[in-house]
Amino acid sequence: MATTTATLTLSSSDLLSDELALSTTATLTTAGTATGVTGTTGLARKTVAGAHGQYTLFDGSDYTADKAHKLYLKNTSTTAAEYFLVTVNAEDVGRLYAGDWALIPWSAHDNDCDIKIDPSANDMTLEYMLFTDE
Amino acid sequence: MATTTAAVTLTSDLLSDNMSVSATTTCMKAGTTADGLDQMEYGYLDLPTGDEYDLIATTPTASKASKLYLKNHSTDETYYVAVTQNAQAIGKLYGGDWMFIPADFHDAAGDIAITANGGTNKICYALFHEGTVLVTT
Repeated sequence: MATTTATLTLSSSDLLSDELALSTTATLTTAGTATGVTGTTGLARKTVAGAHGQYTLFDGSDYTADKAHKLYLKNTSTTAAEYFLVTVNAEDVGRLYAGDWALIPWSAHDNDCDIKIDPSANDMTLEYMLFTDE
Repeated sequence: MATTTAAVTLTSDLLSDNMSVSATTTCMKAGTTADGLDQMEYGYLDLPTGDEYDLIATTPTASKASKLYLKNHSTDETYYVAVTQNAQAIGKLYGGDWMFIPADFHDAAGDIAITANGGTNKICYALFHEGTVLVTT
């Protein structure tokens, strides 16, 4: 069985009076089991060239519904004001600003549950990888 | 300014070549490199099955660079919490899973809600943001 792990470290020495130091590791498994996730797109990059607009990153109809898929995203921009607006099924989840990354659970619960990205400027590049539970 | 960093490392032997991807970001206020997110709320709770609960109501200022960390500390891998925003299903966090997502809180309907399944789930969360809309009593 393949083993895929995701480790997060959150740290700050000055946000609170006490130091923030949080570290956690998850082994990415298929829904409701201890078996590791079985597929991945591998690490990829997408540059939304030219005039910017919304782009479908993953189509919900291409993936089995109600599973434990995980999506990694990173905005590679170095211009602070540039962001990708991430939507799931047309719901604005959040803005990924320059250098920011995210790990998002995705249930792909029906055909409308597409993941879309909308860059705030032209020629922005997104790095992404999907771990699938098929 | 407060400096909060979030680092991730993803490793996998799913592919022919072992993979290790790392990224680190400093959690900044929207559109700036000069000022970090300087407010947070943090909690740990037992979430019973049945009802859907607002984890974060839409009090953080809308359409900023807020970040939400959420972990399911349940040790039973069949337990999960379903995460929704504005009633749209985002994903499921099974026992041991965590997520770190940008959170838009775009309007009064943009609450992030969670529903426990399988049994009482143990949830830890942290929201990093740059301000809230205070509600008068």
